[in-house]
Amino acid sequence: MNRFLLAIDTTAGTSVALLAGETVLSEVHFDSGMKHAELIGSAISQVMNQANAKPTQVTAVAVGRGPALFTGLRVGIAAGIMFSEACSSGLVGVISHHAIAVQLYTENPQLLEKPLLVTTDARRGEVYWCLYGGLDSAGVPIVLRGPSVEKHAHILELLTDSYPDFNERSGGASAAWVGRLAQREILEGKHNSDVSAMYLRAPDAAEPKPNQYFAASADIAGAAK
Amino acid sequence: MSFAIRKAVPADLVAIMAIEHECFPTDAWSADSMKDELAAPHTAYFIAESADGSSSGSVVAGYAGFSKHRMSVQGDVQTIAVAPRFRGAGLGRLLMEQLLATAKIQNAESVFLEVRADNPVAQTLYQSLGFKEIDRRARYYQPDNVDALVMMLELPREIKAPIVLGIESSCDETGVGIVRGTELLANVISSSMDLHARFGGVVPEVAARAHLEALQPTLHKALAEAGLSLHDIDAVAVANGPGLAGALMVGVGAAKALAVGLDKPLYAVNHLVGHVGVDVLERGKVATPTIALLVSGGHTSLLLVRDLLDDVELLGETIDDAAGEAFDKVARVLGLKYPGGPEIDIAAATGDPKAIRFPRGLSLPKDMEKHRYDFSFSGLKTAVARWIESAHANGEQISIPDVAASFREAVVDVLVTKAVAACVDHNVPRLLLGGGVVANARLRQVAKERCDKHGIELRIPAFNLCTDNGAMIAALGAQLVMAGRAPSELSFGADSTLPVTTVQTLA
Repeated sequence: MNRFLLAIDTTAGTSVALLAGETVLSEVHFDSGMKHAELIGSAISQVMNQANAKPTQVTAVAVGRGPALFTGLRVGIAAGIMFSEACSSGLVGVISHHAIAVQLYTENPQLLEKPLLVTTDARRGEVYWCLYGGLDSAGVPIVLRGPSVEKHAHILELLTDSYPDFNERSGGASAAWVGRLAQREILEGKHNSDVSAMYLRAPDAAEPKPNQYFAASADIAGAAK
Repeated sequence: MSFAIRKAVPADLVAIMAIEHECFPTDAWSADSMKDELAAPHTAYFIAESADGSSSGSVVAGYAGFSKHRMSVQGDVQTIAVAPRFRGAGLGRLLMEQLLATAKIQNAESVFLEVRADNPVAQTLYQSLGFKEIDRRARYYQPDNVDALVMMLELPREIKAPIVLGIESSCDETGVGIVRGTELLANVISSSMDLHARFGGVVPEVAARAHLEALQPTLHKALAEAGLSLHDIDAVAVANGPGLAGALMVGVGAAKALAVGLDKPLYAVNHLVGHVGVDVLERGKVATPTIALLVSGGHTSLLLVRDLLDDVELLGETIDDAAGEAFDKVARVLGLKYPGGPEIDIAAATGDPKAIRFPRGLSLPKDMEKHRYDFSFSGLKTAVARWIESAHANGEQISIPDVAASFREAVVDVLVTKAVAACVDHNVPRLLLGGGVVANARLRQVAKERCDKHGIELRIPAFNLCTDNGAMIAALGAQLVMAGRAPSELSFGADSTLPVTTVQTLA
């Protein structure tokens, strides 16, 4: 019986991968930061078909929780939740920036020499960021600060005293690395089943001004008298 | 005498041939032919054994064979024979019933047989099973020179009612519903209404976040309510519009992953047509043609439905606020809570609906030319606000019940007047109401009065089927499945302005 992990990340593009251990068996990655809802179904389907895998062979689903732009992020998490329901598999939430950090460290070991600031675009002149201090013995990134969302200049101000010197990379998460990180966390027993979206921002909604003529939430029974 | 029926095996050949010669002395099949028949992949032969036989055990009392090729929908009774000493005990019927059960399992739509014209006993049996004579073959049986009657039985096509799971996330309600054909199995709704209360209206981002959180618990509750597991589901349906884009996308992403994970077909259906299709859950079908008035916090639409799946026309809709939105906004003006509909209903109970004559939007003759079936509530909301401002400035005592009742009367009057006009204009004797505002007592009352007056049949589904819900999505999906429609491709997206003419989004 094969034990596969399906990884989904929609924090940047639409990215889906199927892994056995840390080996990526199949991967579909659409770079566009749009059309997540359109692409997610066929991306999962393609990944499963390419690896000739059956849903019953999937024992874990890992999803990137962000932080990221909300609309696309939710599509991946919703899909991850439901795919795990269909497979009766486990569900693992992975912070997408951590997956980017693992990828960067693995592909560029020289980055391990200094703290690493990973940023992704958060629009409105801000970035989602997280600062890392290398990998632990299990290959899981060590978080120094974050994740958070700030204007770039503000992050530098925040970090300058404690971390005067660090590397900075901006990037986008891929499902393959979300999956690999999830496997490391599972192996260590450090995985988290929380797949809630990491928004880091409150919804844009203003509460209406107090009513000019009547007290707010007037007592209807009283009003009717 | 009691008989047991079992599948024939090659070792039965000798016993079969003995009866064959006994029953058909002049035209028995050869042992070789019979052997091939028993072994053929498209046949099914059965043996009837008599239990009360000799001490050596049971004896073969009769046999019968059925034939149907895999791709064919027609089956044939190949042969049937009962040894003379076992006749008159109903064994022929028993064997025939076994063959017909086999035909049904193999999804045959009709079964054919030939019978000797000089065998009235057999003919009577076949007739009693529903076979009808359709042809006569002259001198078919040789050497006896006897005609054959060709008889046919049409099997009722038992369309297995599909179990469909529907997901709804177009506004502030996360709905998961499960139906079996037109039978409601579960309808679980998780509303984020309370989260919107302090904002005085639905905040799209708040709604979308709530959908994501509600998805899993709502699914679990629905499955528990239906007493099913996900593997019992035959198809998945999802509302892909119209509605709030970010909210819809949660449902679309969820439904796609569920369908792929279960390897089941997926149907993307129109949310508004779902409000009409929900009537199948209470009446088995949607009586057409019908006018449908759908009134909620997000929609105010008047539909002409000639056919639920193929012919839905939008006659008109609101050109600004939805009716439910108007209730919310006016409730705010009056210092009442959110959602405004129920609050205004309560306040209006003791008010005079004729106290203040508020405007009826798009009801003037010039508007009726261009916007006969359209609605506008933005001006009404402003009129209420102006009226209160002015009354306040003049130091008049303001009766909230009178304002609430007069406002409600204006909304209801326009809604019902236009809906009834649509019925009369199109000569459609039915009006179906849907959407959350249907909870409004005055709307139901006025609709009933005016429909009665015009001889229009009024349909108002149960309230939990009127508000946004997953059962209506599942019900519409099941209609598509039962009509043999192709599933949607996985490439469809959420469409916040999906037109009602698109009942199903194919790709």
